[in-house]
Amino acid sequence: MSVTRPFRATDLFKFNNINLDIWTETYGISFYLSYLARWPDLCCVQESPNGRMMGYVIGKAEGAGPEWHGHVTALTVAPEFRRLSLARKMMNLLEWVSDQTYNAFFVDLYVRCTNNVAIQMYEGMGYSVYRRVREYYGSLGLGRGGKDEEDAFDMRKPLSRDQGRRSVRPNGREIVVSAHDVS
Amino acid sequence: MSSALDRQIKPIYDALETHSNKSAVVQCNKVLKKHPNNILVKALKALALVRQQKVEESLVLADEILALKPTDDAVLTAMMHVLRGLGRHSDIIAMFENAYKQNPLNEDLGTQTFFANVRVGNWKAAQQIAGKMHKQFHDDRYLYWNVYSAVLQANDPSTEAALRPVLLKLALRLISQCQTPSFYSTDRFYVHVLILRDLQLYDEAFALLNDEIGKRICAISLACDELRREIAKLRGAVKDEGDHARERILEKQDRNWLEFLSVLDATFWDISSTSEPSEEAIATVKEQIVKSRELFTQVGKEDGLKDRSGPLALLELAKRARVYGLSSDASELRTLVESYFSQFGDKACCYEDLVPYVDFEGEEFSKWTSFLNTQKQPADTTPGLRRLINVFKLQRYNLTSGELTPELETERAAEYVRQYLSGLALGSNLPDTELQPADDLAILAGHAYITLWKLTGEESHLHTAASLLDYASSRSRQSYQIRLLLIRIFQLLGAPSLALEQYRLMNVKQVQTDTLSHLILTRASMWSLAPLGDITYMSECMEASQIYMSNSQETAEFVARAFSTEKYSQIADFIVFEDRLDNSLQRDLMKIEHVRMRVANEQLNADLVDMELIELKFIFDRLHHDNRDFTVIPNYQPRGQPSLNEITLPVKMSPGMGWLSAYLKIYIKGFQLASDLDDTVEDKLLIGDRPKPSADPENQAPLNERLAIRKQEEIDDMTPEEQLFYEYASALSGWLAPYHDHVRPPPAALLAEAAKANDLKPGHPLKNLAAAQAANGSTTNGQSKKDDEPPAIKEPPELISKVFDELKARFDAEMNGQKLPSELLHIASITQEAFLFFALETVRFKQASVVKIHKLGNLVQSFKSIRERGQEVLTQMADELSKLAEQVATPEGRHKFVQASSSIQTDTGFHHDYVLNVAKKVTDSRKQTFEGISKGIRKVIKNHS
Repeated sequence: MSVTRPFRATDLFKFNNINLDIWTETYGISFYLSYLARWPDLCCVQESPNGRMMGYVIGKAEGAGPEWHGHVTALTVAPEFRRLSLARKMMNLLEWVSDQTYNAFFVDLYVRCTNNVAIQMYEGMGYSVYRRVREYYGSLGLGRGGKDEEDAFDMRKPLSRDQGRRSVRPNGREIVVSAHDVS
Repeated sequence: MSSALDRQIKPIYDALETHSNKSAVVQCNKVLKKHPNNILVKALKALALVRQQKVEESLVLADEILALKPTDDAVLTAMMHVLRGLGRHSDIIAMFENAYKQNPLNEDLGTQTFFANVRVGNWKAAQQIAGKMHKQFHDDRYLYWNVYSAVLQANDPSTEAALRPVLLKLALRLISQCQTPSFYSTDRFYVHVLILRDLQLYDEAFALLNDEIGKRICAISLACDELRREIAKLRGAVKDEGDHARERILEKQDRNWLEFLSVLDATFWDISSTSEPSEEAIATVKEQIVKSRELFTQVGKEDGLKDRSGPLALLELAKRARVYGLSSDASELRTLVESYFSQFGDKACCYEDLVPYVDFEGEEFSKWTSFLNTQKQPADTTPGLRRLINVFKLQRYNLTSGELTPELETERAAEYVRQYLSGLALGSNLPDTELQPADDLAILAGHAYITLWKLTGEESHLHTAASLLDYASSRSRQSYQIRLLLIRIFQLLGAPSLALEQYRLMNVKQVQTDTLSHLILTRASMWSLAPLGDITYMSECMEASQIYMSNSQETAEFVARAFSTEKYSQIADFIVFEDRLDNSLQRDLMKIEHVRMRVANEQLNADLVDMELIELKFIFDRLHHDNRDFTVIPNYQPRGQPSLNEITLPVKMSPGMGWLSAYLKIYIKGFQLASDLDDTVEDKLLIGDRPKPSADPENQAPLNERLAIRKQEEIDDMTPEEQLFYEYASALSGWLAPYHDHVRPPPAALLAEAAKANDLKPGHPLKNLAAAQAANGSTTNGQSKKDDEPPAIKEPPELISKVFDELKARFDAEMNGQKLPSELLHIASITQEAFLFFALETVRFKQASVVKIHKLGNLVQSFKSIRERGQEVLTQMADELSKLAEQVATPEGRHKFVQASSSIQTDTGFHHDYVLNVAKKVTDSRKQTFEGISKGIRKVIKNHS
């Protein structure tokens, strides 16, 4: 149970309970505004009835030709509001808008290879690993999980326009590319 | 341009790109030798100069280029950056307007001119340019630029009320002239509906929203859907909206809480929309309640544990029914709350969900209390632990003031701690990037010990809280909530360096510095060792202020970008965001703290005085917004009791708008007297644009009148010591103003001085100054002897002589009472501030020649006794603080600290040695603070004796 509403610039004053969590990065003003100034419909907030922010998603649409897709740049839920299916709600909206408004072929996202909880959650939503991106999270250095910690899975879910399901493949985990090839 | 020249210019761009500004200047000079009139190279040089803060040199070049009325794209772009760096936005506009006028067929120049106006919120001009562009280039986007600029102008506070509908009607007419209907683009459609709303044409708006295309747009755009909901309410179509929401809930499985709210609003509409509902209306509502209850029950059954919407909507329904006196069953709400708890008690947010519904009284209260008691079960699983935590939180919320006794609170604290320590076992395998599921029990224990401190006045409870929470933080390194509590406790205990350390570990950055820096920078001057040259807190202020620079450099650019991408739905929010940051209360509270520390840290010379005077005067015109976030601080205090934030504020009060207003008045007046600048001089010396004048009628009065006004909200916002300082500062300024005015050199003399200084610098003279010099004709040399007699010398008002004694009495009272470090330091810092303020206002009379020429010997005589009394009092305070510093960091002091929590310590983990470490940290930090402040006071005395 939550209010689903657009992400607004002024939410930057309210998102501390979400962003003080270690896994959520706080970027400069221009990061948020550049998304809002281009893809406001791919950014939304979940809010509790008393007005506290519970989580948000920030996305964009990019790619050429058959690579035209919706991308999840940030998806986050405050610790106290986890396990309430909020992430699923926000992903549903992002997929719906990517499909209806942007006529995209698929939606994709990046997730740390060690983050099993998240990977399982996305699989449950119909995403599958398309490829493994080496050293995607390189800036954090080699963590306890070694390579797995800094590599990312690029996970994708086809939308209605991708009739032939060309944006997914069964052996994605074995296909490795370097971070330079994707950014 | 020749390709040879191109080749020479490229390295300049490269240097600028890599911010090698010095090398860029060298390159520019090389090219300018061969091509002395190349305007692009001059512009690039000006850019490199302004980036090196060589403002005056850059200014001269910029003026030279602007005089040539450039039209070349590269020159214009370079100049835009130069002028932005100089803060001269009006020149940017004039430059583009000029270029566009010369090339009216150049679409890009038109766009740039439009954007230049947009960036500074010049909506009227923007609108005219967009209109012109639409006529010329026939692109619909320009028509919508015109339309939306008109909307923004209508909403601008400076626009007259009568003009607003005119502008909106004009905008609407423009839309109707457009060849493609608005619904071709979601954001154009949004603008269209928005205008209809603002013109109160709700039915027209509804018609647009409710046809096939409108519905489709609302289904894919949350922004338009939000507008639709609002308009439905404004039309009074609450019941239709309720039906619509019911349909969405049932058919589309929509679980947006807004849909449930629509159903709830519709349920009670027949009675909530009128002050005297008829019998019939009441009967209808009763029926509606039954229907809604069925709907929510059905949803609850279907969703089970997947979604809480159904059960929560039932709670809200029961609560509203009770408010309207339509509740048939007195126990309904409680039964629902209990069943909600049974179902969702193991969700972390259960407490927050239920709090609005559990204000029970009488029999219901006792039933609810006994229900909670039955739910308290040992936790051997993580969900079980979360349930137990929710029970504790709800029980704590229930506590009556009679139950808040030291004995009972001690028992509760012990139980929280016991459960916390055993609950840690459930998270023992988690990586240290995860939060411990038992964290909230430590936080609850923190609440209890802080409450005990409040109840008994015994500092030892704060020692226990610090020890336990420090331990909890070591077990759950990512818990920011534990850190927030620690920050406050460390501050109360006079260990600010530990508070700062905790704050830094929270990794607060970017826009968060605006909302959260209050945690460590509120009244930072009282912790600061600035007199000893330690600029920790001053740099922290500077760092936290970076975000305001980024805001003024970046945000307006996105307003322009949103026009170019036609995302009109974002523009108003961007503007509000920019304004809220630009005029942030925290920004200027930090500024005041910085000034207070600067005055203690630096020499009181003209550089400091003049610069701060100008800045504070700008701030004084602002209409502030409070963006500070206090909601992140956890609060599990009983209902009706002050929040944890409130009871842990150092010196018990948080400064607000009133505090800022008072302190601005104090320091503007103080600097004004100490300064030689008057308004005419200031105008001549100013380089960038002045801030937009505020529309507030209160700000229209002359500055000196505004400075003299006292407001109740100012007093309400200040501690008793600050109030005393306020009165003292006003009395001091009032007393000394006539003598300052008598001695201050005339503006002409000052301008001549400034011009002379400027002549000595390389480059050309400042235009403004040269003109002023010419106009003033003859120049005099600094001090001039006046023929008239000085104002009669008056005795100082009593308050001025008494202030130090009064503060000393307060300090002694605290020493004989609780000796709370934060209170002692506060009083000492205000006393030091009073002393420094005296020095600031008398610095002009330090020069023997001034006193002699102006015959002010008697006045200066009367300074002596005041200053001496200040010195005595401050010395005594410094002595006391030194003594306290010695007493605290001793084996006995640490032993007492450790003893405080001996009853809850364990053999492993939270054991004696762990607590001893905390004791050492806290007492050392406190010692360091007391010693530092004490030394600082002595230094201040020495500097200003």
